[in-house]
Amino acid sequence: MSLLHVSSLDAGYGDLKVLSDIDLDVDSGEYVAIVGPNGAGKSTAMKSVFGLADRMAGSITFAGTDITHLPPEEVIHEGLSYVPQTENVFPSLTVEENLRLGAYILDEVPEERRQAVFDRFPILADRLDMDAGTLSGGQQQMLAMGCALMLDPDLLLLDEPSAGLAPDLVDEMFDRVDAVNEAGTAVLMVEQNAKEALRRCDRGYVLAQGENRYEGSGDDLLGDDEVRKQFLGG
Amino acid sequence: MGLAQNIVFGLVTGSYIAIAAIGFTLIYGIVNMINFAYGEYVTVGALVGVLAAGALPLPLPVAALVAMVGGGIASLVLARAFFTPINHTGPVPMLLTSIGLGLALRNAIRLTAGQGSRYFDTETTTFRFDGLPDLSVGSVDLLGGVFVTSEHLIVIGSAVAVFVILHALLTRTDVGIAMRAMGDDEDLARVRGIDTQMIRDSVWVLAGVLAGLAGVLIGIQTSVSSTTGFSHILQILSAAILGGAGSPYGAIAGSYVIGLVVALSVAFLPTGMTGLSTAMAFLILIVVLLVKPSGIAGQEVREA
Repeated sequence: MSLLHVSSLDAGYGDLKVLSDIDLDVDSGEYVAIVGPNGAGKSTAMKSVFGLADRMAGSITFAGTDITHLPPEEVIHEGLSYVPQTENVFPSLTVEENLRLGAYILDEVPEERRQAVFDRFPILADRLDMDAGTLSGGQQQMLAMGCALMLDPDLLLLDEPSAGLAPDLVDEMFDRVDAVNEAGTAVLMVEQNAKEALRRCDRGYVLAQGENRYEGSGDDLLGDDEVRKQFLGG
Repeated sequence: MGLAQNIVFGLVTGSYIAIAAIGFTLIYGIVNMINFAYGEYVTVGALVGVLAAGALPLPLPVAALVAMVGGGIASLVLARAFFTPINHTGPVPMLLTSIGLGLALRNAIRLTAGQGSRYFDTETTTFRFDGLPDLSVGSVDLLGGVFVTSEHLIVIGSAVAVFVILHALLTRTDVGIAMRAMGDDEDLARVRGIDTQMIRDSVWVLAGVLAGLAGVLIGIQTSVSSTTGFSHILQILSAAILGGAGSPYGAIAGSYVIGLVVALSVAFLPTGMTGLSTAMAFLILIVVLLVKPSGIAGQEVREA
């Protein structure tokens, strides 16, 4: 049984339907990428899993629990964490306070997780008292991921982690995602940088105009002529 | 009276304005609305305080606590009845609702509590410092003798205590950090698992408690009537905006600027123009906003 199972999902915002009949699966420990052109509904797919978009039909289950209608503040209790694409840290709060809120649903901040985040992102330990808004884009991305990892989730949802990063930082960021996945956390990642995402992931979905188009292992999708021609620029 | 004395008056005014302005600006920053009925919360606090102190009678510190509890309960009940149900409609409908609610509350208070003024029966000790020499420049005395009353000290001391406790709350407790987080980004707060309605309720209670205390302090300094809070709402609003709307630290700074400007303009404007002292507060507000639109402690104005 898959960890995350999205079945025949229609979703959008208010009267606007963005996704129709989407199916997605992520197994325990799996690394899954969603790619596709702008406006394909990739981010909306992720937001509907986390309760931030309106779910109109279909179902979402996580580890056997129906989370189709849960709001975000309840989804977080189920063992998945979400890193939004932008505005993923609280700019007027310090790094320390941001990390503390990463573990908000726990009674106290687990020291070993905090330490694990610092081992992964040492720069954060040096910036604890700085306002998150003063960090560089790359550092904010690390802080956002660090906050999500404070709960040691079974599944990490990443919305375009490479967006807005300087080109020389993009590879480093993908390496970090690999490392998180290798430590056992399943990853569902939306990425604009489709080739690199498919190269790294176990399995990928190609979304276009709010619908599933292709699904397969990353290598198969990269090798598929149709996918290359339509979505990867030949 | 010299400059030094008027600075004392300005600090006293700034202190009670600051306590109320913090509550006002927290509502603005976290619930995302301008609450014009907030002056009436101050009035409710002042009335509860003066009745507790006079009718029951209770010692002043206990009466002040009763007023704070009363203000907190009133604020939460009013929010649940009028603001929480329309929270999704955005700032403008909520602002209009608050103007209507303020009007209704003000008149309801006038009908039940009457037109007259009530006074806190406090024993005042006055400390005089007459040793200071005068330092006259033209008609203005830049130094001069100073007196401070025990009431002045209560007001200023209460304000300092509020600042310290509030700072600890906002930086040391989960609820306080969550309040600031919600002021930054409500969606992300929900993603972190923060129950945003619970935080909004906490803000309403906190703002009501602060209004209750401010009402008692204004009552000690002057008197309590159905317009006690309303007559201060523009100063509270100006202080909050001057400081950078949503920032409690900015509201404190803005309040003391307003308090000092009002006190000094009363003292040093030519006789016949002293009616302009409240207008002076707005003049300062306009000048500051022209130079720095986001206010004293404000961040860059974010796009809608």
